[in-house]
Amino acid sequence: MTALSLSLLVPWAAGLLLVVLDGRRRTVGWLGAVTLAATIAVLGLLAADVLRDGAVEMVTGGWPAGVGIVLRADALGVTFALLSCIVLLAAACAETLLGVGQRTVPGLLVLLAAGLNGLFLTGDVFNFYVFFEMSMIAAYVLTGYGGGRAQLRAAVIFASVNLLGSFIFLLAVAGTYRVTGTLAMDDVAERIREVPPNAAIAVAVGFFVAFSVKLGLFPFHYWLPTVYADTRPSVAAVLSGAVANIGAYGLLRFGPGVFAEQIRLSATVLVVLGAASIVYGGVLAVARRRPAEMLAYSAIGQVGYVLVAVGVGGPVGFAAAVLYSVVNALNKALLFLTTAVRGPLVAGAFVVGALSVAGVPPAVGFVGKLAVFRSAVDAGSPTLVVLLVVGSALSLLYLFLVYQREFWAEEDRDAVTDAETRDTAPARGVSRRVPVVVLAVLLLAGGLWPEPLVAVSAAAADVLTASTNGAGP
Amino acid sequence: MTLATAAAAALLFGAGSYLLLQRSLVRVVAGIALISQCAIVTIIGSSLSQGRAPLDPAEGGPLSDPLPQALALTALVIGMGTLALLLALVHRVVVAHGTAERDELRDVDRPGRDEVVRQEGDETE
Amino acid sequence: MTDPETPPGPTVIVRVVARLLLAPSVVVAVALIVKGYTKVGDGFAAGMVVGLAVALNAVAVGAHRAEAALPVLRHAPHAAVGGAFVALASGFFPVALGEPVFSHRPGPDEEVVSVGTAELMTAVSFDVGIFLLVVGVVTVLVHQLAEPDQEPPT
Repeated sequence: MTALSLSLLVPWAAGLLLVVLDGRRRTVGWLGAVTLAATIAVLGLLAADVLRDGAVEMVTGGWPAGVGIVLRADALGVTFALLSCIVLLAAACAETLLGVGQRTVPGLLVLLAAGLNGLFLTGDVFNFYVFFEMSMIAAYVLTGYGGGRAQLRAAVIFASVNLLGSFIFLLAVAGTYRVTGTLAMDDVAERIREVPPNAAIAVAVGFFVAFSVKLGLFPFHYWLPTVYADTRPSVAAVLSGAVANIGAYGLLRFGPGVFAEQIRLSATVLVVLGAASIVYGGVLAVARRRPAEMLAYSAIGQVGYVLVAVGVGGPVGFAAAVLYSVVNALNKALLFLTTAVRGPLVAGAFVVGALSVAGVPPAVGFVGKLAVFRSAVDAGSPTLVVLLVVGSALSLLYLFLVYQREFWAEEDRDAVTDAETRDTAPARGVSRRVPVVVLAVLLLAGGLWPEPLVAVSAAAADVLTASTNGAGP
Repeated sequence: MTLATAAAAALLFGAGSYLLLQRSLVRVVAGIALISQCAIVTIIGSSLSQGRAPLDPAEGGPLSDPLPQALALTALVIGMGTLALLLALVHRVVVAHGTAERDELRDVDRPGRDEVVRQEGDETE
Repeated sequence: MTDPETPPGPTVIVRVVARLLLAPSVVVAVALIVKGYTKVGDGFAAGMVVGLAVALNAVAVGAHRAEAALPVLRHAPHAAVGGAFVALASGFFPVALGEPVFSHRPGPDEEVVSVGTAELMTAVSFDVGIFLLVVGVVTVLVHQLAEPDQEPPT
């Protein structure tokens, strides 16, 4: 219980303090990184508790559940919280090593961690919304970081589209309260069964749209390429590796966790949308020239796999979705961070990331792809398997196009430096490559020893299947 | 009562969507503000009940449900925060781009992207 | 209504009313915080009342002159962060005692120390924190949006 409270208190209090300090000073940047590391340590303790004894629950103020707000840490939430904090830590280290250009950045990264922890570790729909907005506000400000024209335009697009998504979420929350009379997730999951199907599906669609916008799934992706490509690389890494987790987590938590029946009914739609996302993202990524833009389209394709896995469902599908979300967040964080630095080591890290995205064995992406393939085979659909293979082949193709263009022609490479990211021009210097290399090693280690990751995602999927079966009629 | 709030919410959402599709960024922000109000009206309309404050339920009589009030209040606070943030953002866009028209931002930003990219890249060398 | 000599902008009435309203707004805010546990009111509402008075003042005489007349306003960012810390501390202090967050002291059915009609408990300090936060944030916002640091090119 203490670990649960501390995982919120540490980043929150430290973030407030850091926002006041001048983040351009190197010590402040490192303070931010240390705070994030401390948060990860607390979350690690919490995760150990959760995996050993099951979910940790706390009701604010010691009220009975239903009166107070339920904070709950289960395997699913803790996994995503840990993942997001690791990505944030990598981004904070990379940004500090490159030199922070704006005073509030370290504080905002830490506050973002507080918001994300809050929403991953809550058992209440509205509390989820509050922390969701808290992390989104930090993300909006971070998107504008750099203050160039492109960044500001990206921030306006990101903020307006995602605010629209947030208000759709709020409408769905109002609908949930109307039809079920409660906002605690467990109670909602139970009472939604007795709700007329039309009302339930309307509310579920609201949640689905809100999370799809956040995740950048195919029909809701239009904002994503500009934003990811025009922000600074470390911010793009944060957006795709930490903030997009909100969407993946939300789909899992509200999909199978709350609206289980509705998800089952709409499985075909989800699989079709996911497959469309994969193909669309892959094809458009091949056609792009700028690496950041290519990675942005790749992000659209990659989240398609998560949606396909959710659509297939069952313990295998949900475990695959969790596993793939984790892998994808780490891949994207690594690849976006590599666009800010140069050198042979970075080229190696990029190759690891590329192999991981494509799902080639030594990297952890293989484990993720394998899990999704297994769920597709379980679904007994050859078309789906073929589509997944095509998606993987496309991702291998576009990533090696980037590799060839970026790292082989190392000498004349500076000529292709992007106009907008000129101030973030590829930096040289060994220490600056450390975060990238560490992430790459992490990906390789995960690929060589995938058991812990597989076990954790299976535990997370158990949370979802238990809530669907356990409360069944 | 329910019909009136539903109609109000629909009107707010419609007006908000209309403004959202305008070219001026200030209007886009106004549209988002209207849609946020629509969400709050929906919360109120969907679940608010009339009655006494539920501080001491023993007294009897109808009680009002405190939850929608808390939801609406929290949503208002968040809406105000995001609105202020958006306005500040638009102000900075006006400073940087010299315009608040959505389409002009694009023109300012990408005039034949690749050529410009190469030229400016050469300068950094 | 205005005669031709007066400068464009708010009339003298608005300016005087804006200045006169500041003090009462603080009184109303204190009342809202103190009464918040049995009647309508809380830290946020109190903060908004003062925030609106500050905003009216900024509109009437301009942000710079408002700051010159009331130097306290320059500390708005500190008030906001300090308030957030007070609120966080009142919410999270039970962690040290091993209780769920937002447990308040004195708890239900315990003796409450009161000063006049104000009851001293951690819930009140939480609201004071929120009050400071809201006033600080609104002041910073109004002053930033009213007279930004960088003027847009004309």
